[in-house]
Amino acid sequence: MRRTRPAVAAIALALVLTACSSGTPQAGAEAGQPVSGGSLTWAVETEPITFNPHQYAQAKARLLVWNTFEALLTHDGQGGYLPWLSTGHEVSADGKTYTFTLRTDVTFSDGTKFDAGAVKANIDQFSVEGYNPAVLAVQLRNLDRVEVVDPATVTFHLRQPDVLLLDFLSSPQGAQVSPKSLKEAKNLKAGGPDLAGTGPFVLDHYTAGQEVVFTRNPAYNWAPANAGHTGPAYLDRITYRFLKESSVRVGALTSGQVQVVEGVPATDEALITANPQLSLSRGLNSGSAYAYYFNTAHAPFDDLRVRQAFREAVDVDAVLSGVYRGTATRAWSVIGPTSPFYDKTLEKTYGGDAAEANRLLDEAGWTARDADGFRTRDGKRLTVRLVQSAPFVRDRRDVLAQAVQAQVKQSASIDLNVAVVDQGTATQALADGQYEVFDNSRADTDAGAALNLLLHSGGAINRTGFTDPALDKLLEAGQAGPDQARRQAAYQQVQRLVVTDQALVLPLYAPADQVAAGTGVGGLGFEPTAGVPGSAYNLWLSK
Amino acid sequence: MIRAIARRVASGAVVLWAAATAAYLALLAAPGDIVDSLIGDGADTPQIRAQIIAEWNLDRPAVVQYLDYLWRAAQGDLGRSYLLQRPVGEVIGDQVPPTLKLAVAAAVFGVALALVLAVTTRHRWARRASSAAELVIVSTPPFLIGIVLLSVFSFRFGLFPVSGDRGWAALVLPAVTMGLPIAGVLAQVLRDGLDRALDEPFAITARARGLRERAVLIRHALRHALMPAVTMLGWLTGVLLGGTVIIEQVFGRPGLGQVTLQAVGNGDMPVVLAVVVLAAAAFVVINTAADLAYLVIDPRLRRS
Repeated sequence: MRRTRPAVAAIALALVLTACSSGTPQAGAEAGQPVSGGSLTWAVETEPITFNPHQYAQAKARLLVWNTFEALLTHDGQGGYLPWLSTGHEVSADGKTYTFTLRTDVTFSDGTKFDAGAVKANIDQFSVEGYNPAVLAVQLRNLDRVEVVDPATVTFHLRQPDVLLLDFLSSPQGAQVSPKSLKEAKNLKAGGPDLAGTGPFVLDHYTAGQEVVFTRNPAYNWAPANAGHTGPAYLDRITYRFLKESSVRVGALTSGQVQVVEGVPATDEALITANPQLSLSRGLNSGSAYAYYFNTAHAPFDDLRVRQAFREAVDVDAVLSGVYRGTATRAWSVIGPTSPFYDKTLEKTYGGDAAEANRLLDEAGWTARDADGFRTRDGKRLTVRLVQSAPFVRDRRDVLAQAVQAQVKQSASIDLNVAVVDQGTATQALADGQYEVFDNSRADTDAGAALNLLLHSGGAINRTGFTDPALDKLLEAGQAGPDQARRQAAYQQVQRLVVTDQALVLPLYAPADQVAAGTGVGGLGFEPTAGVPGSAYNLWLSK
Repeated sequence: MIRAIARRVASGAVVLWAAATAAYLALLAAPGDIVDSLIGDGADTPQIRAQIIAEWNLDRPAVVQYLDYLWRAAQGDLGRSYLLQRPVGEVIGDQVPPTLKLAVAAAVFGVALALVLAVTTRHRWARRASSAAELVIVSTPPFLIGIVLLSVFSFRFGLFPVSGDRGWAALVLPAVTMGLPIAGVLAQVLRDGLDRALDEPFAITARARGLRERAVLIRHALRHALMPAVTMLGWLTGVLLGGTVIIEQVFGRPGLGQVTLQAVGNGDMPVVLAVVVLAAAAFVVINTAADLAYLVIDPRLRRS
C-alpha cells in the first residue's frame, strides 16, 4: 500500500488539476482592514492525540494549543522573550532563581482567576506520578520548587542554572490550565472542552476523526505585544477539520469547502501558486535540522574518514531538488537556519565531492569491491543501515532516503540499507545498536533543548554513541545562560565540533510548514521563532 | 428451540474469547512493547520508562495481565486507552454510530445495485459490458475510487461535501465508494446463480406453465441464486470493517477504522482488543442472521 500511494496521489492530483482549472472562483478580497465576525474552516493534516497542553508532543498540533491556552512568556523571534501572562521577570546573579510578576487582569474561561497559585498548581501537576514523565525528566529536571510570593509574584528555584526554563515557560507544556480543571476534568490527560484556559478562543466541541470547533472568548483582552492586535479575536468561530490526505485537503480548498489548509506537499505547491484565487505561505520551523546522525559506536562510522566520505558522497542539493522540486531549504548545520544560534559560516564547507569520498574510503581500507559493485574491507561489504519508524515518517523522508541511497551507491559504492518499519521494531533496532544511521529533526523553539537531547553524552535521544566531556561542557554552558552572547559562542563551538571536526552528522533540510488560503482570508501568519502556523487570533474573513 | 439458542450464545462467547486471546497473543509477539510506543520518537530515559511502567502496571507477568484483562472485560470494563488517555468504551462508543451508518448504507447500496445488475443484464451485450465494468471496479483500489468520486462530484460540481459525518449528503460518496466493489462481486455471484437456476428442470416446468421469462427469473431463479450470495455475508462484514479504514481516511469521516489504525500502529492494546471483540461479535451476529436467512429463502431446510 505504501509504495503505490505516490502513483495514486499523482493520478488524484491530475484529477484535482482538471477540476480546479474550471472551478468556480471565490470572491476575491481586497487586502484591507480586518473585520470582526464570521466563521472559518481550516483543514489540517494531523489530529491531535491530546488537547491537554501539558501533554503536547506533536509540533503539528501547536497551532491549536494557543487558541485556548497561553503561557507566561512568548518568543519574540530574535531569540528573546516577551511577557504574555506575566508582566516581567528577573534572574538572580547565580542564574538559579527566576522571579515573575504576573498580570492581574486575567481570568480562565471557567471564571477562575489567574494568579501565582495557578502557576504553582500547573507546575506541581507535573510531579503527579505518570502525568508527564518526559517533561519532568527533561524540561523540569533542574527545577527545585515553585514559590508563591504574593498573588502577582511567583519564583522558580532551580538546583542549577538553566536558561531553558524560559523556553519551557513559553512552550505549550508550560501553558496555564485552570487549577479547577486540573482537579475536576474527567479525562485530564486527554483534555477537551472541560479543560479551561485563558486564550482568545474556547474549545466548543471535538468530534474524534472529524473536527474540533473553537468559539471566541469575548472577555479576552491580554494579548502579548507582538500578537498583531488587542482585544477579542476577529472570528466568531473556527473549525479545524482533520483531512489526512493531502490531495483531498487541496481539493477541498480549490472547491471552496474550506478556506485554509495546512500541510501542502511540494508536489501540490504549483497547483496553489498557479491559481490567482489562492495564496501560499511558508515558514521554516525552529529547532534542529532534519539530519542523518552517524552511529560511531561500531564500524564503519567509528572511523572519521568514513563519516566524512559518506557526507562527500551525497550531493544534497541534487537530492533535495529531485525529491522536493526546489521547495526545500538545505540545512548545513545540526541547528536549523532560523535559530539565533545557527552558524552561517558552516555553509558550503563540505559535501558533494565524490572524488574526495572515494579517496577517503580508499584510505580507510575499503578498497575491494564485491560482485554487486559495493566497497568491501576484509570481505565485509560497506553497508550502513537506516531504520525509519513508519508512524513518524513525514515530508516523504522515505523517498528522500531512497534518493540518498542511490547517490551514495553511484558516487562512492556505499550500500545504504533503508528499512521503514513499525515503531516497536524501530525502537528495538535502536536499543540493540542495529543501525549505523539515525534520522531526526526536532521542533524545539530553543535549539539548545534539541542539542541537549541529541548530542549530550547523557542525552535521552543520543544515538551517535559519541561522547566527549568537552562537548558536554559546551552544551551545559549553553543551557546555563542566561547571557545570549555567551550562549551563542558556546553553540557555535558545538556546531564546529559536531559538524566540521567530527562529521557526526549529515544535515539535509530545514523542516517547514506550508499554508494555503483563499484570498478572502486575512491575518494568516507563522508563530515567531517556532515557525509553525500561528493560532486563529489574527485570522479574519473579508465580507 | 431454547437449546438451540443456548448453543448459539455459548459458541458466540467462545468465538469472542478466542478472538480476544488471539489478538492479545499477536500484540504480545509484535516487536517492541507498549513503553516503546508511548515514548515514540521523544525522550527516552530509564526514569521515564519506570514511570510509564508504574502507571499502567506493566511490570506484572503477561499471563496475569491477560487474566486481569479478561476478568475486567467480562464485567464490562474495557480499560483505558494508553494513547488517548480516555476509557476505551468512550473512545469506541463515539465511533460506532458513524461506522455503522456507513456500513449499512454501503451494504444496502451494494446489494441493491448487484440485484439490479444481475437481473437486468441478461442479454448478451449488456451482460458482457456489465461484467467487464464489475471486474474493473472490483480490481480498483477503493482509495482511488474515492478520490475520483470526490474530484468529480465534490471538488468539481460541488454536489456533496468532502468530509465528516454531517447529514445524508456527506454519506453518499463514502457509501458509494464502499458499495461499488461489493456490488461488483455480488453481481457476478448472483449472475452465475441465475444461469445455473435457469438451466434446472423447474425453470422449464415454469416456462411450460406459460410464465413469462421475467417472472421465472424473479420468482423462481432469483431465490436459488440468493443462496450462494447469502453465504458471502461473512465476507461482506470483513469488507465493510476493513474498508472503513481507507474510506474514513480519504473522506475525513469519524469511525472505527481510523481509531483501529491508530491503535494498532501505537500498540494501544486495550483499544485493539475492544475493536477485535466488537468485530468478532459482528461476525457472530451476521452469521446467525445468514443461517436464519437460509431458512427463509429455502423452505426445504425448514423441514429437516
